[in-house]
Amino acid sequence: MIQGKNLSVGYGTDVVIEDFSFHVEAGCITALIGPNGAGKSTLLKTLGGYLAPLSGSILLGGRDALSISPTERAKFMAVMLTSRKPVEYMTCFDVVSVGRYQYTGRMGNLTSKDEEKIEETLAFVGAAHLAKREYDTLSDGQKQRVLLARALVQEPKVLLLDEPTSFLDIGVKLEFVETLKKLAKKEQIAIVVSMHELEFVKQLADYVVGIDSHGTVKYTGKADQILIPSILEDLYEMKPGSFLKLYQDFTKEPVASTHQEFSSHSFPCKFLMVQGTMSSAGKSMVVAALCRIFAQDGYRVRPFKSQNMALNSYITEDGLEMGRAQVLQAEAAGVKPSVYMNPILLKPTSDAGSQVIVNGKVRGNMSARDYFAYKKELVPDILHAVEELSKDADLIVIEGAGSPAEINLKKDDIVNMGMAKLVDAPVLLVGDIDRGGVFAQLLGTLELLEPEEKERVFGLLVNKFRGDASILDPGIAMLEKRSKVPVLGVLPYLHHHLEDEDSLTEKFTNRSRNQISIGVVKLPHISNFTDFDVFSTMEGVGVTYLTNPKEVCSDYDCIILPGSKNTIRDMQWLRESGMEAALLRYHHEEGLMIGICGGYQMLGHSIEDPDGVEEGGSILGLSLLPVKTILASKKVRKQTKGQVEELPENFLLSKCSHSPYTGYEIHMGETTLDATLCEGAECVAFTEQGTGYCTPRVYGTYIHGFFDGGQLSHNLLYALGERKHLAVESLEVRDYAMIKEEELNQLADTFRQYLSMDAIYEKIGLHPRKSS
Amino acid sequence: MKEKKESSCYRIMILYVLLLGLLGILMGVNLCVGSTMISPGKCLVLLFGESGDFVERTILFQIRLPRILAALFLGGALSLAGYLLQTFFSNPIAGPFVLGISSGAKCMVAVLMVISCRVGWVLNSLEMILASLAGSLLATGVVLLASKKVKNMAILIVCGVMIGYIGSAITELLVTFAEDSNIVNLHNWSMGSFSGITWSNVSYVIPVVMMGLLSSMWISKEMEAYLYGEDYAKSIGIGIGTFRLILILLSSILSATVTAFAGPVSFVGIAVPHVIRRMFRSAKPKILIPACFLGGGVFCLWSDLLARSLFAPMEISISTITAIFGAPVVLSMLFHRKEKSE
Repeated sequence: MIQGKNLSVGYGTDVVIEDFSFHVEAGCITALIGPNGAGKSTLLKTLGGYLAPLSGSILLGGRDALSISPTERAKFMAVMLTSRKPVEYMTCFDVVSVGRYQYTGRMGNLTSKDEEKIEETLAFVGAAHLAKREYDTLSDGQKQRVLLARALVQEPKVLLLDEPTSFLDIGVKLEFVETLKKLAKKEQIAIVVSMHELEFVKQLADYVVGIDSHGTVKYTGKADQILIPSILEDLYEMKPGSFLKLYQDFTKEPVASTHQEFSSHSFPCKFLMVQGTMSSAGKSMVVAALCRIFAQDGYRVRPFKSQNMALNSYITEDGLEMGRAQVLQAEAAGVKPSVYMNPILLKPTSDAGSQVIVNGKVRGNMSARDYFAYKKELVPDILHAVEELSKDADLIVIEGAGSPAEINLKKDDIVNMGMAKLVDAPVLLVGDIDRGGVFAQLLGTLELLEPEEKERVFGLLVNKFRGDASILDPGIAMLEKRSKVPVLGVLPYLHHHLEDEDSLTEKFTNRSRNQISIGVVKLPHISNFTDFDVFSTMEGVGVTYLTNPKEVCSDYDCIILPGSKNTIRDMQWLRESGMEAALLRYHHEEGLMIGICGGYQMLGHSIEDPDGVEEGGSILGLSLLPVKTILASKKVRKQTKGQVEELPENFLLSKCSHSPYTGYEIHMGETTLDATLCEGAECVAFTEQGTGYCTPRVYGTYIHGFFDGGQLSHNLLYALGERKHLAVESLEVRDYAMIKEEELNQLADTFRQYLSMDAIYEKIGLHPRKSS
Repeated sequence: MKEKKESSCYRIMILYVLLLGLLGILMGVNLCVGSTMISPGKCLVLLFGESGDFVERTILFQIRLPRILAALFLGGALSLAGYLLQTFFSNPIAGPFVLGISSGAKCMVAVLMVISCRVGWVLNSLEMILASLAGSLLATGVVLLASKKVKNMAILIVCGVMIGYIGSAITELLVTFAEDSNIVNLHNWSMGSFSGITWSNVSYVIPVVMMGLLSSMWISKEMEAYLYGEDYAKSIGIGIGTFRLILILLSSILSATVTAFAGPVSFVGIAVPHVIRRMFRSAKPKILIPACFLGGGVFCLWSDLLARSLFAPMEISISTITAIFGAPVVLSMLFHRKEKSE
């Protein structure tokens, strides 16, 4: 259809492409590729008749292009160039109708045949519904379709397109490419197109012409012969191998191969992985205990869990978010928590979605389905985290998540066996005897693993056993026989106060009423509820979750409104469930209320969300504090240290004045004192730097972990006890951090007793005690 | 599809009828109003009867009628010239006045007038047109050269304005050295006015302008394609060089004719096509060309009516009136564009 013979193109004496011959058949699509400035547009312009060829000739349908009149050429060939001029007041139909130029009479009046053709073509490019729309109001993608229709109503045999897909989004690009393919086939049009998007060239073109930056036609041939990494790297002057990185798809090898590549990375430390047969099998505690044991034995050990799904996050010193389970494990290992210990954190926001936080930074909200498709892209982030940790570690203890045998989710796994494979870690499998069926759990899990996965499991653990271990022995012997994996320990059920990761566990509910009772409103989107863990370590203090307004009564010495992942929704819940009324009644009955973060925002007068950070709009709060909150998309994340401000005598918590606190802030939006609301209200600053305000019986602050400091919680309980005329000495108040340390050591001691550490040391290739 | 087409056809029909109606009314009013008021009834009698007052008859036939026809055709020509230039430069604020074409023509005519006075030779209409054409072509040539150098439309307009100033400066200089008797004449004319138009002038104006109008219609199809860009027009088989030459010649002839007889008249060339485009909500040349012509006629009749009756018997320059009405339109257009582009 269109043919070039020894063609040289360029401007004047400036030869851009020299001595090039080609032939494009009807129904074939030829793509011109090459770096910017290679001369693709110049070649297209020459073919389109804008420029005269410097030498050689162009044949259109076998005739020399120079001998063809412009009129005939326009009926034979249509050109779509990149430049687009705005035209006011023209409908798409009008725009396309200009393409009929050569078919209409002197005054350009359309016959019914012309109109039919135009409508038919608009329908073909999928723009029939746009016919009446004004062209200038269309999106780029729609404009491009209309312009294609305009070229097509010329009824051409040859179609030239200059970068038709630039500036279109990827979905529209694909659609456009599909339309072109359909067109070539159906109308038997020869298409020559210049394009930069190689992935679409691959979709579109039958033949490819590769022009290098010197204007030499370096490669011509069938698309699949040219579109290979080595040629493209040469053509675009890229470093060898860099192409593959960009377009893994072109190699036609499965993505897993890149994992393979990564796993060949060796890290300068040892690995041990703990997986469980189910959620809450006790993996976190096993890892914490192991960390403490290895630390006690003189090793630099780091905990790691590739992905956590939890509402509670911890803010590191750098202001990055990570899961709390690894924080406890880091404490067990005797190191500062690092975000690399938990590179992926999923925080459930609504019923179907989660906020995805990668190496401490928010990546966005994703539904479970989206995340499942996305997660394999996170492998490099995970490996980066491991690499960072391994720099100053002898050993990394990895925790799995859930069960490794969720066979519906195993594809692209990055938390259990997939993770173990990435770093080549031996695996300990933990079963939970407390919930029953521990043999079936362990054996069934092993059974569902792939052979090479099963090989990684070098030991089984039975966790949470109560009573005499010898009863288990026959079962264990049979288990070892059938699974051919040794049982390395039967661990006792432990009572401890160490933090729990999942909000699902039934830790707080139904604690018997104590001398001091604290109520925590269980918001539907409650977050960071470890804020209250400190109270459960104290003798004589009871913490109860309040889910029903009826449970709210003046028996509680204090009611805490906790943080929320979705303040506006939770405020709506408070209102609709009647909890708000109950809380207000509690307040009028002289009750003491404390709001933390989201709870603090709810205690205020109003919460506004002008930017739609949460739901948009605004909602009135409980109006117990004269403050207003405006949500903003910027997230405040930082660790803070400070003192409670000087509180007047008549304030219930005046005892807490100057008590130091350490904690962290994590919230979107600012809460400010509203001067007009303040009038008549007794309101003073509660925590430093405007992070909290209070009235005599209502206290609000943004500080999470506010109660963790021993002195502050002591003063708080002292104040509460005084109201009830309780002797405060009867309350045993200790520093939470100290308790933690004690309990971790206890935990390690217990585990050493019941675990065959020697077998574990041997497997991971370390000496039971580090020689210094 | 059909509905839409019919409704837009309907709209265009109504607008045409409206324009023609306005034109008729304004012509009638223009006939009646002046320093001597002639009642409509009398007018009809004078126009179609034999009898009537001689003075009134003379005023009507020798003064008002040619002036009305001149305002109609020259206004139309000016507006059309503006439209053609806007198409040529694809710039809505192009026009014979802002691009300095009117001033170029004015300057050339002034030169000729002064020289001819010196040698005692009275210019006839044709010579005036030719001199004016030469001037406008000269100015257009300079603008075109500038447009080759600068692609930025705003800068091009500034170039046009500068050319206009140079033209005016030369004219002013000539006025300074002209003989007393000519000064009044020259000055009046260089301010722009339809006064003093004779039947002999009109007999040149009408054919030239009609020729311009019909030729514009003849190339309306090319103009429509040209709206989408030079490259596109080329790709569907239009001989761009010839087309552009015809376009620029037509607009030069039209604006030269206006300048030759009425002096430079500002803003008609920009404001009228803009208003017409917005009224018709169309960019199709074959619709806009006659509409611009009619619109220009209406606008100039209206402006001339005000120019000669507002402070009658004193007459003010027509450009004063056209600027008062035209400049706000142009400003609103600029703001409108600005908003759109933001």
